[in-house]
Amino acid sequence: MAKGTAEKIRKKAMGLTAVLIIAGFGAAAVSLFRWQIVRGEELSVKAMEQSLRSTALPAMRGTIYDATGTKVLAQSASVWTVVLEPAYLAENEPMRRTVAAGLSRILELDENELYEETGDASSYYTVVKRKIETNVRDQINQFMLDNGINKGIRLIDDYKRYYPYGTVASNVLGFTGADNQGLEGLESYYDSELSGSTGRLIAAKNAWGTDMPFEYEQVIEADNGHDLVLTIDETVQSILEKYLAQGIEKFNVGNGAVAVAMDVKTGGILGLATKPNYDPNDPFTILDQKLLEQIAELPEDEKEEAENQAQYTQWRNKGVSDTYYPGSVYKMCTGSMGIEEGVITQDSQFTCTGSVKMEGVKDPIHCWNHGGHGTTSFAEGLCNSCNPWFMHISTLLGVNTFCKYRESFGFTEKTGIDLPGESASLYHSEESMLPIDLVIESFGQNFSITPIQMITACAAVANGGYLVRPHVVDRIVDSKGNIVKTADTSYRRQVISEGTSKTLTGILQQNAASGTARGGYVSGYRICGKTGTSEKVAKHAEDLSKPMEYIASYCGFAPAEDPKYAVLVFFDEPDREIATGGNAVAGPIFSAIMQEMLPYLGVEVQYTEDEYDQLGMVAPSVVGMTIEDAQKTLDDQGLYFDVVGDDENWENRVVEQIPESGSMVPKGGTVVLYTSGYSIDDALVEVPDFFGLDLVNASYLAEIYGLQISVNGSRDAGTTVMMQGTSADDKVKQGTVITLTFAEELDTETYVNIEE
Amino acid sequence: MPSAGRTARGLTRVPQYVPEEERRSRPPQKKHQRRRRVKYALFSLGNGLDMPLFVFIMVLLAVGLVMLFSASYADSYYREGDSYFYIQRQGKFAAAGVAAMLLISTFDYHRLHKLTPLVMGISVLMLVAVVVFGRMLHIDSIAPPEGVAYRWLNLGVQFQPSEVAKFALILVFAHLISKYSDKMDTFRYGVLPFAGILLLFGGLIFLENHMSGTLIVLALGAVMMFVGGTKPRWFIIGGTALVLLLAAYMTLGGKDEGGEGGVYQMDRIAGWLDPFGEKSEGGGADTWQIQQSLYAIGSGGLLGVGLGQSRQKYLYLPKPQNDFIFAIVCEELGLVGALVIMILFALLIWRGVHVSLHAKDRFGTMLGLGLTFQVGLQAVLNICVVTNTIPNTGISLPFFSSGGTALMMLLGEMGILMNISRSANVEKT
Repeated sequence: MAKGTAEKIRKKAMGLTAVLIIAGFGAAAVSLFRWQIVRGEELSVKAMEQSLRSTALPAMRGTIYDATGTKVLAQSASVWTVVLEPAYLAENEPMRRTVAAGLSRILELDENELYEETGDASSYYTVVKRKIETNVRDQINQFMLDNGINKGIRLIDDYKRYYPYGTVASNVLGFTGADNQGLEGLESYYDSELSGSTGRLIAAKNAWGTDMPFEYEQVIEADNGHDLVLTIDETVQSILEKYLAQGIEKFNVGNGAVAVAMDVKTGGILGLATKPNYDPNDPFTILDQKLLEQIAELPEDEKEEAENQAQYTQWRNKGVSDTYYPGSVYKMCTGSMGIEEGVITQDSQFTCTGSVKMEGVKDPIHCWNHGGHGTTSFAEGLCNSCNPWFMHISTLLGVNTFCKYRESFGFTEKTGIDLPGESASLYHSEESMLPIDLVIESFGQNFSITPIQMITACAAVANGGYLVRPHVVDRIVDSKGNIVKTADTSYRRQVISEGTSKTLTGILQQNAASGTARGGYVSGYRICGKTGTSEKVAKHAEDLSKPMEYIASYCGFAPAEDPKYAVLVFFDEPDREIATGGNAVAGPIFSAIMQEMLPYLGVEVQYTEDEYDQLGMVAPSVVGMTIEDAQKTLDDQGLYFDVVGDDENWENRVVEQIPESGSMVPKGGTVVLYTSGYSIDDALVEVPDFFGLDLVNASYLAEIYGLQISVNGSRDAGTTVMMQGTSADDKVKQGTVITLTFAEELDTETYVNIEE
Repeated sequence: MPSAGRTARGLTRVPQYVPEEERRSRPPQKKHQRRRRVKYALFSLGNGLDMPLFVFIMVLLAVGLVMLFSASYADSYYREGDSYFYIQRQGKFAAAGVAAMLLISTFDYHRLHKLTPLVMGISVLMLVAVVVFGRMLHIDSIAPPEGVAYRWLNLGVQFQPSEVAKFALILVFAHLISKYSDKMDTFRYGVLPFAGILLLFGGLIFLENHMSGTLIVLALGAVMMFVGGTKPRWFIIGGTALVLLLAAYMTLGGKDEGGEGGVYQMDRIAGWLDPFGEKSEGGGADTWQIQQSLYAIGSGGLLGVGLGQSRQKYLYLPKPQNDFIFAIVCEELGLVGALVIMILFALLIWRGVHVSLHAKDRFGTMLGLGLTFQVGLQAVLNICVVTNTIPNTGISLPFFSSGGTALMMLLGEMGILMNISRSANVEKT
């Protein structure tokens, strides 16, 4: 039995051992296999995630320069994000109080809320305020120093975007969001180039969130963004914006406006102004008065939606995102096609009877001149903007050829301009194009294109027939100054021959000088131009009870002998009560832009004899002379004089003169001499409103007020004042020269009813 | 045979309870040989030293110390300001422990017979002291609490009386089983005294709120009774009673204990079933420790991240030098390393059982088995906890976990095992 007991013990002990080892370690081994092999990857990732602290090292966003390379349009500057590390503060009641009180004072935040935040012992990262500037940062550093705080508050580097020129070129530049990401415009289109790459500081951290003392730390340096140098010139851009704003005010334009200036040889955009615009430093504030008024009228519950809508509207770049019927401006293209294909010459004759009856269409299609232009040459037809002439050309060309050129001019594809949101055009396809569609397209109705497509086509007409690539960014430069990329200024293709281009240029120059486009004329600068008045047919069709709205546009270029710069101006829905025609509305603005822009860009003035005769002269300096001497000086130059103040004693000295020396005075004009003791009240006059007056009446009115006028645009009979250089009701001194721009309001478009 | 009962140390008294068969199987030894051994015992530790057992112990201890250093240095750097805090303490105790082990291996285990009542008495007293000073009087300087449990007694050195109790239990049971070796199948001898002692120890440790200690004591007792010859039906009865008691405790009792509210074991089970809080809304039970343990294990993969390269020891895994040290082992040495360590433990267990079964008497067998199973059970349960194979309960890993007195005790116990081997008929190389 004893022997048996020992044997039993042995068996039981061995059995239990086996169970312990096999079952116990076996189960553990199975578990280990499950955790380490089956789920190992997943668990190690989770472990890594909790133990790696990656701190972003923000990259400085690239700067945007204008074409001069010196004017900064957008720039980033260092700011800081204030972060609390409540875990270091939560246990320390007095410290929490101090921190809450101090930060609330410096950052103007609620003290109680800050105090609450400091109590969250589990957090090492609570953002308190973003984008604080250097002076605030210094205050916080001082505060931490004064109170001996070395843990619990952190300042993290960040950048903020500044746009030194405010609203200038806002719709081109765009703006950035809270995380410095580009949201609109170039900031969005070139976001990856501008933003560079964010660096990372990867450090292993322990469960307390502090760095491990003997663990690795890896720094991936931030790569600062590239700079952009634009083709846009701040001066040109400002000129465009200035006159666009004037036009909008003058013609009470309802739906915004666009002005584009392009280098016709390279496709570089010198300026692209759109209205409404905004201040990219504060993109959410609505600047446009009209939009604000519209919102103010809405019921309370619709306001927010309308505000959002208004924000999108003011951010939108009308120049590339809106489409419109080009209207008669397109005739420069149709004309080019006819000449290029040889179906017409500039001397070809055609008789306009005032309307054309198309088969299958109920109403005849009228020329804007219902009486008809009679028999005219092509050159005259273009200058008359005669619709039947161009219907005739399109019929001669036929659908295939017309469509071939339409495509060749780039109207069926996006231009590829380096701005976001470029719209595609809408047009009848070649297959679906009926004869009626063809003739209507011939004068620019019933198909929609973007302003940028139009000016690109115009540039092709101007530059010898080459279709350029419109672009805004001239070159991309890295942070070390190396050029990373330059704009492609090669031509996409040649659309028409140089000869055809020359012919059209000649006709368009004639048009601007004495044709329907003379509103855009600028003395001395050989302007070529074409007006357009597009009917917003689709909008009209939506609600026939409302009158037709128009887009008044003017597209032209200069100088004629070697075209360099093209400008397109368009106003969307000018007030019908004032004027709607392209010549009357857009022409004077175009003229004003050209007059200021061309000298800046170095285009030489060359006056014709006629122009020279009408030219003003430089006022001589007579300040400091006696009245007598001044009178003599002026007399020598064929100028008259007038005295304000004491004119009894001719020995009195002139203390001031208007126009000032060096500024322009009309030939045979007057220089007003101010003597000591003149009263400012006597000297100041209120500028009258010259709008709508012809040259004779305007001159007469000016004389009554003691003012002088300088004539801009066409002096032909039938032209009236469309613009005045000094606003009505402004107070100026007697003798001041007011620049008046004359143009003709021609109703050059006719609504086309193509119902059968 | 008056000399038959003589021991290596020359004790003259023949223990009455040494079974006849054991006495007979002892190889004949000549008197002068024994005397020489006595005389040179201290200088001839290598004589009769169980080499496999010694090697397994020393390898486990060495690996354990290395891993303890690796696992603890980050935590002790942050919490104690000294990376060497734990390893220095553990190293000193390990050195002393190894010396003690070797000394004890020459100390005839039969003398423990006489010491049994004393050891048991002291052990019970200390358990009572923990319960009284800790749980009842809340004198933290004598019985510092750890969470809701009172495991520690501070008498100049701080130690867990439950560790002593485990040894006392093994000793008492070995003593009783060898004494009642042929009456073990009776209720009066084979069940009653064991059950009484088991309830006394188990109950006291349970009152410490020391669940894992209770379970190990109960398991150890059961294993020894089973091997010793207690009839299987009593285990069924005892087991059923225990399960019912536990169920009652978990559902009804204990809510007023510890001040932390509720029976924490329920949380542990919930955490075991859903370690990542994936299955329940709001994250489920607080499973931070087991979750971090699994992150560590998972990070290790097949071959580990390399010795010293653990990330999880950087304050993620709470007390990585204690119960969850094996998670860091898994992280740094991978599945392969973990398996090697489990194999080392298995080898130690196998050797311990082998030695015990070849002991020269029933007392040695039972004592050896008890000690071996204590180490084996703790190792298995610890590894199973760390790998979330069973619910989380505080069991340390022998040779690895930080704890100087526990390590000393363990090495002392291994000394006894070595002595059993020394005086038995086992090949020792």
